Amino acid sequence: MLNILTRGLYKSNPVFRLMLGLCPVLAVSSSVHNAIGMGTAVIFVLVSSNFIVSLIRKMIPRRIRIPIFIMIIATFVTIVDLLMAGFSPLLHKSLGLYIPLIVVNCIILGRVETFASKNKIIFSVADGLGMGFGFTLSLVLIASFREILGNGTWLGMQIFGSKFKPAILMILPPGAFLTIGLLMGLLHWIDHYRTVHKHVHSKAR
Amino acid sequence: MKDIIRFSLILTFVAIISAGSLSWINKITKSEILSQEQKNLTDALMEVLPGSNSQDIIPIQQEGQILYYIGYVNSMRARVNGYALIVESKGYTSTIRTLVGIDTSGTILRIKILFQEETPGLGSRCEEIRNGELIPWWQAQFQNMNINNLAVDKDGGLIQSITGATITSRAITDSIANKTKVFIETMNSAKTDKIDE
Amino acid sequence: MEFQSLLIIAVGAIFISNFVLERFLGICPYIGVSQKLHAAFGMGMAVIFVMSMASVVTWTIYTYLLKPSTTNIIYRLIMKGQGSPPDLTYLRTITFILVIATLVQFVEMVIQKTSPGLNRTLGIYLPLITTNCAILGVSILNIESGYGFIESLVNGFASGIGFTLALILMAGLREKLELTNVPRAMRGAPIAFILAGCMSLAFLGFTGLKIG
Repeated sequence: MLNILTRGLYKSNPVFRLMLGLCPVLAVSSSVHNAIGMGTAVIFVLVSSNFIVSLIRKMIPRRIRIPIFIMIIATFVTIVDLLMAGFSPLLHKSLGLYIPLIVVNCIILGRVETFASKNKIIFSVADGLGMGFGFTLSLVLIASFREILGNGTWLGMQIFGSKFKPAILMILPPGAFLTIGLLMGLLHWIDHYRTVHKHVHSKAR
Repeated sequence: MKDIIRFSLILTFVAIISAGSLSWINKITKSEILSQEQKNLTDALMEVLPGSNSQDIIPIQQEGQILYYIGYVNSMRARVNGYALIVESKGYTSTIRTLVGIDTSGTILRIKILFQEETPGLGSRCEEIRNGELIPWWQAQFQNMNINNLAVDKDGGLIQSITGATITSRAITDSIANKTKVFIETMNSAKTDKIDE
Repeated sequence: MEFQSLLIIAVGAIFISNFVLERFLGICPYIGVSQKLHAAFGMGMAVIFVMSMASVVTWTIYTYLLKPSTTNIIYRLIMKGQGSPPDLTYLRTITFILVIATLVQFVEMVIQKTSPGLNRTLGIYLPLITTNCAILGVSILNIESGYGFIESLVNGFASGIGFTLALILMAGLREKLELTNVPRAMRGAPIAFILAGCMSLAFLGFTGLKIG
């Protein structure tokens, strides 16, 4: 159970490991505020879709499961879209096109298809939460790098003195690609280092 | 064949349930979205026409389109405080919509940018609010400017353009200058027409 | 409808706001299918085709079924022109994704039956396209930009070209990259992202391009 909850954070992190749902990661990570908004929306859609699919998993005929999943996901995405437009119009404006595009975010269909359609409700909800948080965490991490370096702020708070000249490139599109590429490289490097380390240890024994 | 009928029935059933729940959510949020939009516009209008209450700002329409707003000094609606009109300008990457408040003599009261999608960190700084200030510094420069000598510093005017975003600054400034000049002229000629009668 | 405005839309979609490099749509196939030039070409063709079709179909459905207007089909046929036209725009996302999924299936079927040659080039890429956010993205962008029928078609087609351009450039670079000595940790996706960053930087030079 705990494993299901936590594996989305690092071991099978949807963004860095599974490379799923990269479009919104790149697009809305220019500020931490947007990243949190997007992450919340994805968590809501992921948990709700996992819950519903797991609830009716025995009633869905195998051959038409994909269209049914897509309809369920699209319904929850529209709900988020409408709620955000009504209660947080500023966030809705800055996320814009990328809210309806959660429908085609591979994380959601992927989790629903590989996990929720085969597992009990409680595990499916845990999986949704874990993966959702993993996604949000990666998004906030990337956004932090970009906002701090590109705008000199974090969540709108001034980090450096007024003399700091931000590298605007970081909050422009190229910055998104560069940040994610370097972070992914760093993660690979850590993995490599750890396996080499383990190897040395086991040999020493 | 039996499968096809069964499958289409199931799909229709799912579609009806999602459409039904969505129309319910839509009903709840619709009024909220509308009132938010209304509130944003009212707030912007009160900001660019300081001294007028929201009920004293009247839209002037022609063929269903709002041409401009008149702000009166008080609810007697005898003395005009100023006019507010929406100006569109082609910026660097987007069409910028600005609400401009001017008084009857052609002096700008306030401006407020309603929509822009300019380059983050450059053109988007036209909405940047500096620490401890209430309104964006760039837009604050327009206060009490006469529309006849409105230009950015690179064109010999007094509006300091945003570093690295001269195109955005110039587009907004020039479009405000042009539109308000035409507007004040038509208002004045309408007035003289009335006197002639 | 002037020719010039269509040209502006096309140049805008290909260079200025390139789907992949500036709007970040269709990143998954961009990183996933860009290892071989041949595959990139097939994917690109499939995307251009489906994007143009989807633009046209979703625009038509939105304008005549969902949008509240007096030409709305539901309003005309079922409500017989009485009362106010129904506003079904909140069903946009769910309708579009279903239409696109059906369209892709349909295109796949037609190609399989009619053209084995085309099936060999496009066949394996078509199923991947349903979950490509670029297709849904262009459909929604057409609506939000207020484009008409022809404009939507041009925008869809040109966006597809923009996607293909970015994909093929990337594939060409990655084929060359295989012969070079990349640090172990950066091999594969990371270096691809760095390359994409450099390309995006180059495409940034197109912003603010003024035509006409």
